[in-house]
Amino acid sequence: MSDAVNLIFTQDFLLRALLVGVLISLCSALLGVSLVLKRFSMIGDGLSHVGFGAMAIACAANIAPLYFALPIVICSAFLLLRMSENGKIKGDAAIALISTGALAVGVMATSVTTGMNIDIYNYMFGSILTTTGSDVLLTAVLSSLVIILFVIFYSEIFAVTFDESFAKATGTRTSLYNMLLAVLTAVTIVIGMRMMGALLISSFMIFPTVTSMRVCKSFRSVIVFSSVISVFCFITGLLLSVKYETPTGASVVCVNIFMFAAVYIIKTVNSKSFYGKNTLRRLLTCLSCLFFAVIYLFVMLSGTDSLSERDNRVSVVTTGFAQYDFSRNIAGDKGEITMLLSPGEESHTYEPTPADITKIKECDVFVYGGGESEKWAESILDTFDGSVRTVRMMDVVDLYEEVHDDEHTGHTHGHEETEYDEHVWTSPLNAAEITREISRAIIEADGQNADYYRDNTEKYIAELKALDEDFSKAVSQVEKDYIVVGDRFPLRYLTERYGIGYYSAFPGCSAQAEANPVTIAGLIDKINNDNISVVFKVDLGTGKVAGAISESTGAEIRTLYSCHVISGEDFEKGEGYISLMRKNLENISYAMK
Amino acid sequence: MILISCKNVCLSYENNTVIENLNFSVGEGDYLCIVGENGSGKSTLIKSMLGLKGTASGHLHMENGLTSKEIGYLPQQTTVQKDFPASVYEVVMSGCVSRRRNKLFFTSAEKSIVSENMKKLGILNLKSKCYRELSGGQQQRVLLARALCAGKKMLLLDEPVTGLDPIVTMELYNLIKMINKELGVTIIMVSHDLHAAVANADHILHLNKSDSFFGTTEEYLKSDIYRKFGGESADE
Repeated sequence: MSDAVNLIFTQDFLLRALLVGVLISLCSALLGVSLVLKRFSMIGDGLSHVGFGAMAIACAANIAPLYFALPIVICSAFLLLRMSENGKIKGDAAIALISTGALAVGVMATSVTTGMNIDIYNYMFGSILTTTGSDVLLTAVLSSLVIILFVIFYSEIFAVTFDESFAKATGTRTSLYNMLLAVLTAVTIVIGMRMMGALLISSFMIFPTVTSMRVCKSFRSVIVFSSVISVFCFITGLLLSVKYETPTGASVVCVNIFMFAAVYIIKTVNSKSFYGKNTLRRLLTCLSCLFFAVIYLFVMLSGTDSLSERDNRVSVVTTGFAQYDFSRNIAGDKGEITMLLSPGEESHTYEPTPADITKIKECDVFVYGGGESEKWAESILDTFDGSVRTVRMMDVVDLYEEVHDDEHTGHTHGHEETEYDEHVWTSPLNAAEITREISRAIIEADGQNADYYRDNTEKYIAELKALDEDFSKAVSQVEKDYIVVGDRFPLRYLTERYGIGYYSAFPGCSAQAEANPVTIAGLIDKINNDNISVVFKVDLGTGKVAGAISESTGAEIRTLYSCHVISGEDFEKGEGYISLMRKNLENISYAMK
Repeated sequence: MILISCKNVCLSYENNTVIENLNFSVGEGDYLCIVGENGSGKSTLIKSMLGLKGTASGHLHMENGLTSKEIGYLPQQTTVQKDFPASVYEVVMSGCVSRRRNKLFFTSAEKSIVSENMKKLGILNLKSKCYRELSGGQQQRVLLARALCAGKKMLLLDEPVTGLDPIVTMELYNLIKMINKELGVTIIMVSHDLHAAVANADHILHLNKSDSFFGTTEEYLKSDIYRKFGGESADE
């Protein structure tokens, strides 16, 4: 526990997260009271979906998301208010229309780009840990604005919330204050969703209010109490996320749920209708308070902090499996290698925990790919101002552009920025280059064992070269000139190197939800016409498309290993890059026979 | 002195005309009761007088310098208020919002108006109680105190006794009469209780789509419309 507290105050990124989070919790709690009492709880939720849609469009159009989303969300807040005032479409229906509509537009926008990319994922679930200095500034300015305006117009906001028709009849400009509330809510949601996530931000507004409404008897005390609860829950949630390596936004919401349950139960036990006799009722109330306090303390204090002690060995932190295996082979027993994408984890929606970020900050060498799915790594590195020794694999080798507009698939995408395929390690020659680069960085970090590392590196590169030769030889002996992949295709560097053709269900490696039916039909035709006996799936993929193709053609399903993330089973078995690649070699030459 | 004048006014509700050619005026110190069947446009008329709704045609104005900041309003209770966490003091204080000059704080003058009105209505002892935990009669007193804080010239009351038991209803009527007679506040009250209206008010406006009645209570008691609508209940 004290370690977690200590960590928050020693790590800049956690301190920034704390600051930003406290400000946002405060704003949400203030506005939440009015929203809940005016029966506008769902407006918060609706606006966060609009925010998500706007972010998605901004990402697709390459506009700074925050500056694009802010005006859009404010406009929709106006629109929502007007719609519910006019009464043509009832309030909840209006919110449902706008929020689901915005969601659909957002999903359309993401499909125009590479599918569900990491930015959009971040906006859905938040990335408070990668808050930069300028984010802090923006949040601080906007949230102080929200708090100041709220305090200045406190009485008017109360009047408008408690009894709008009275306020209007007696000369208060209610539409002005309704607008003010809408704008403040919109601002809070936009800055909040960057940090806490679009799906979670509205719970920051609603939970503390509903909890404090159970116990407070005046408007002012509801506001004060819900601000206190909100900030308390945020800090607790942040500590929990540091301690148990859980996502921050969700942790905070879970603490809020706990608080709500605790207050609800204590209040129920304390009510006269629950048990008539005073002394026993007080005893029961005290007991239930104690019960929740014990649970709280137990969760906060128990268990060991997951942050491991460092030893003297050279420490290498890697994102994916390939670079982990390279580093492991170079450093041998003189290095401590950590892989952030734990076995079986989905690489495209990975979110770093506070412990992960601390590991990156304190390691000797950090090896990452640098592609679209690892944007989080670059935003973390940005916050460290270059104090970490890094190897970016995409800098080491020649790159291929990510496949978007592809005759294999019939997809057409309009996309201006060139994106490069990030799975650079799938060609053994690239792997050798990367290994050499990692080795150089490790030697730089730990010169004493330079000879040992050099030796290991040369041995490993020799193995990679042998693998490369075997591939060339195998491919020269096959009859077919392409393979069929019923999945995403992450092995482009491999196929390009040996001139293996491929037809895949998805272009590139984006985490798209659905395959294009025309593409699948095309793959089935290929298999039937050219007598292809194998349809590939990629390890850790769902294999659904490959399964469907296999069912309608009778082709055998085999697995391709991308080595991006390893499955838990393979990791246990001690598989490495070379052993997995040899499986690929075997499967590909079988399929092309 | 005439405070509100209404000439040839037509009112509509959701595109249906509910009142045609309405003529009446409210003088200072009057106690006017607006009666009529459900759907006859009582609440619509109140809302138009307050400027919450426009009129379809005609002339409905505040006269002799009366502004909306001098009118207190007691609306029908909304569902939102039933579980609203606010103290009695906060609710009464919100009556002062539109009149205050200083944006940040309430002045001591405003605070004394609040305490005075709470005292007059006998709710000073409830000051820090939670509004939602009060009885129906107490809640109406609180809202009445708030209305008095908002305007001391005129009060508009929209069915203030709805849902109250007979004894509390009587108390509230007496309270309103006291406000009218002793504090000199002009009262306009919407009611569906003809009996009480005739007993308390000095002017009656009986709304009926095309031939509404307006006059003093004595005139009303002799009118055809009273015989038609009030006759049966008067016989009881």
